[in-house]
Amino acid sequence: MNDIITDRSIMSALGRQLTVAVAKQSVAASNLANLDTPNYRTRDVSFDEALNQVLPGGEKLAVTQRGHLTGQPNVASGELEDAEGLPTRRDGNNVQLDRELLHMNRAAGDFTAAQTALSAKFRLVRYAINESK
Amino acid sequence: MSTLHSAMSASASALTAERSRIEVAVSNMANAESTRGVNGQPYRRRDVVLASNPVESFDDAMGRTGAVGVKVADIVEDKAPFARRYDPAHPDADAEGFVSMPNVDVPEQMVDMLSATRAYQANLTAIGLIKDLISRAMELGK
Repeated sequence: MNDIITDRSIMSALGRQLTVAVAKQSVAASNLANLDTPNYRTRDVSFDEALNQVLPGGEKLAVTQRGHLTGQPNVASGELEDAEGLPTRRDGNNVQLDRELLHMNRAAGDFTAAQTALSAKFRLVRYAINESK
Repeated sequence: MSTLHSAMSASASALTAERSRIEVAVSNMANAESTRGVNGQPYRRRDVVLASNPVESFDDAMGRTGAVGVKVADIVEDKAPFARRYDPAHPDADAEGFVSMPNVDVPEQMVDMLSATRAYQANLTAIGLIKDLISRAMELGK
């Protein structure tokens, strides 16, 4: 019943999409902030890590009684790795302005998409709560 | 944890750092002809040293990677030799009639200022995007 009303799997998937988008946004902002820092290497949120968080499995809450909620593993901050294949400048820095701005905009798009879907979901729940008024 | 707020702090720290780069470039250009600096010597070109700086020291202590900002680690003087210009009438000319001029290359400062301005704009754009995301997230509660 709980699952039907809140559509937990969809909601938590959307929640993770929000978290991953924020992580990507944050990494792109960090890269952009260090546009001129000598020896700074461009960082990236690794895709594998993000995928693993979307796939089932991982730690769940312990259940002592039937009916307890197990919760969803939701740790989507992601591992960071150095981006590869970028040309390095003479000061050892390899941040590309256009690449980071592109990533920021893409992450913003992902975030907006998930937010729109989530608020549509919430609207349905509210609709049900208000007896379809 | 990387949050939108720490991302914004990272971008804000970059604004501060880029602004001091512009300040230093401007003071270098202003003093391109100053033959008497603070210590009586001709002005020496100054340069900003940037270093990356984790936004949240808690994350750093826990060995986690969060948003990374930037800070001005130091402002150093250029040790390059002064340019010598022949001008016997100048009050600071030496016995041979040469004046030591500051080691400031004005076109180089202009380029540095341009790159700092671009970086500043890029980080402003980033802050705008993050701000949009935050207000988007607020809309979830409506």
